[in-house]
Amino acid sequence: MPDWIKRFLPFISLILLCALIPLCEYFVLGQDPKFLTLGNLAAIARQTAVITIMAMGMTMVMVAGGIDLSVGSIVGLAGVVGALSMTHGSSVFTGILIFIAVGAACGLINGAAISSLRIPPFIVTLGAMGIYRGLGLYISDGNAIVGLPQGFGYFTEKSFFGFIPLPLLIVLAIALIVHFALGSTRLGRYCYAMGSNIEAARYAGILVSRYQITYYTILGALSGLAGAIESARTVTGQPNAGEGYELNVIAAVVIGGGSLSGGQGTVVGTIIGSLIMGVLANGGNLLQISPFIQKIVIGAVIVLAVTFDEFQRRTFESKEA
Amino acid sequence: MMDSLNTALEMRDISKSFSGNTVLDGVTLTAHAGEVLALVGENGAGKSTLMKILSGVHQPDSGEILIDGQKLNFSRPGDALSAGIAMIYQELSLAPHLTVAENIFLGREPLRVAPLGMINDNDLYQRSQSLLEDYGFRINAKTRLGRLSAADRQLVEITRAIVEAKRLIVMDEPTSSLTSHEVEELFRLIKDLKKRGLAIIYISHRLEELDDIADRMTILRDGKVVYSGKWGEISTDELIRHMAGRELKEIFPPRKASIGGVKLKVENLCRSPKFEKISFEVRAGEVVGLAGLAGAGRTELVEAIFGAQPLESGRVVLNGVEVDHFETNQSVKRGLSLLTEDRKRTGLCLNLPLAANITLANVRALVSGGVLRKRKETAAANELINKLGIRPPSPSKPVGRLSGGNQQKSLLGRWLFAKSDIFLLDEPTRGVDVAARSEIYRKINELAESGAAVLIVSSDLPELLGMADRILVMRRGHLVAELNAGQTTQEEILKYAAVEES
Repeated sequence: MPDWIKRFLPFISLILLCALIPLCEYFVLGQDPKFLTLGNLAAIARQTAVITIMAMGMTMVMVAGGIDLSVGSIVGLAGVVGALSMTHGSSVFTGILIFIAVGAACGLINGAAISSLRIPPFIVTLGAMGIYRGLGLYISDGNAIVGLPQGFGYFTEKSFFGFIPLPLLIVLAIALIVHFALGSTRLGRYCYAMGSNIEAARYAGILVSRYQITYYTILGALSGLAGAIESARTVTGQPNAGEGYELNVIAAVVIGGGSLSGGQGTVVGTIIGSLIMGVLANGGNLLQISPFIQKIVIGAVIVLAVTFDEFQRRTFESKEA
Repeated sequence: MMDSLNTALEMRDISKSFSGNTVLDGVTLTAHAGEVLALVGENGAGKSTLMKILSGVHQPDSGEILIDGQKLNFSRPGDALSAGIAMIYQELSLAPHLTVAENIFLGREPLRVAPLGMINDNDLYQRSQSLLEDYGFRINAKTRLGRLSAADRQLVEITRAIVEAKRLIVMDEPTSSLTSHEVEELFRLIKDLKKRGLAIIYISHRLEELDDIADRMTILRDGKVVYSGKWGEISTDELIRHMAGRELKEIFPPRKASIGGVKLKVENLCRSPKFEKISFEVRAGEVVGLAGLAGAGRTELVEAIFGAQPLESGRVVLNGVEVDHFETNQSVKRGLSLLTEDRKRTGLCLNLPLAANITLANVRALVSGGVLRKRKETAAANELINKLGIRPPSPSKPVGRLSGGNQQKSLLGRWLFAKSDIFLLDEPTRGVDVAARSEIYRKINELAESGAAVLIVSSDLPELLGMADRILVMRRGHLVAELNAGQTTQEEILKYAAVEES
């Protein structure tokens, strides 16, 4: 299979979806297509922002050969702690920094545990997923934190030029930074090297533990920021926020060409992966497809993407021999 | 006399090459029922490949295998087993979570109700226990395998092979993890198997132990049989000469390096049982060889010096500064480099581009203002590609698609780019063709001439004799000799490396 198909397959799929959905709206439902309206596209951007921000960090972690299942729980824990800080008088700005700091601390703990205990990241973060969720529920006693400052809500509602939502701008800024970091810094180069062959990276004199911790901390901080956006949407701190997000985040990376075995993945691919899932959900709703069916479709897309990745890897390995 | 013996196995004219490299060239070998055939040869002589062909793991390019005079085709590992051939491998192939008995009968469990596949546990344990006792192995059949020592696991492996074997049993270095008492038990067992009419092919480096059990021998060198005959017909010295005996080829270019101050000094390095009390030094401009048999602890030693494997005690001094924190990043910062033995596992990032692999140990040098300068990287990579003659010269190609020799050159390039001045080279020319070899040797000479210190670990004795100033010899974790390369011979090195002092 030519390389360009692999590179552009996620993008091609996204374009096809965006063409197919309005066609179905028009011909099947007999309505004027709403999908391509500015309002609807802005809604998709808003809905996918939280997942995309986390997926940026997850791209780094997964390219480096790791995985983090606790990101959804971090959203919840950061939401509770950040919201509590605001109800106890901190400003919106400080509050948002606290969201991020809590997330970063969780990520740091994950990274440190993975590199020092030498236990697979899947297991460590599976445990962390329970611990952080439980911690959030314990602190909040299972109740939503209410009474946050009104200004916090503007955080997500604010738009530029009337239609560009603030979360979209945040996503773009983070995407640019992570794209630059992965492609043009030492941090990013080591990411690919570690994911490709962690032993070789260590033998080349890279202190892999330090970099592992860094990647998980960045992912944690981004999850905390995602928690702030999630929290601002309802102007509450929900201890159950972010439940199940880890799967969507990982799926975004994988659909975008990231490999579960590390060494592969790009920011652009991940954004497309996240958009494919967002568009599928949004289009499904417009076409009045049952949300249950939508889950089945998204599940199938994930399996297809991973199958494709495996297939690619096998053909590479046979060429190599 | 010979013809009266029953020929159990005959391998005729076996040839095999891997991607153009001839590994076996017309090898013929005969094993008789009731006899032990010793298969000897240096590392890389082709012994393992020959046995892998016998077990059906590899297919020969030409030649045939006859069991009891009947021609057989082995295309899968199971075929050899059904022909009555069992193998004991150096690397254990048992399931650590099953019990000893379950391992012995794995795949052939005695059944109670055959169609249901219900295993008759009582029978399984009783039969295993009585087998173990018959052989004099003090092992409980109900113990989980993972809880046994390496030696006991080896004995279980041997027991399983005996249960499977009907005609021939192949033992590849079976004593490498056994104590002398256990070796005696094993030899008693081997003699018993001989009486029962089994043929045994016994592969070992330890010539003194072959004296006890071998009836005949076949010597392989460079994929060819150089001698076949009765054990004891030729002297140990002659045998060693057959194993090693090739001419020094013209592939070692001369070197004009002046020897300077001590660059690498190690004192009393210990990690038992891999290596103990190792002390030596390497000076600027000097190339030192480290010889020894497989399993002598050479790789563990150099990896520990580099900080990639643990070290129990001892001092390492690099350029006059003692290492206080054994970690690869510290070593690389201080100019120490390790060309690893296993370039696929610990050397290369196979799916990353050639350029990224070359620059990996010194990415810092490409960064200015926090940005990794790609243009600088490509230029640096191209320079080294030209210098080392890496083919094809495309820095963006995944390094996994290069040939073995070019992969090795790109790893050497990595350490040149990292500005190392102390080089630990572990089997630098393994799996590398002669042309690339000679280029690597020339590069090593240039390094020494520019004042670097080089330590070469190699199982290729002509290589050590051709390249090194001094040769250190390791045997079972100990440094047993230091020889002047100009005055020693392969025979002398092998004698120190292989023969136990009595």
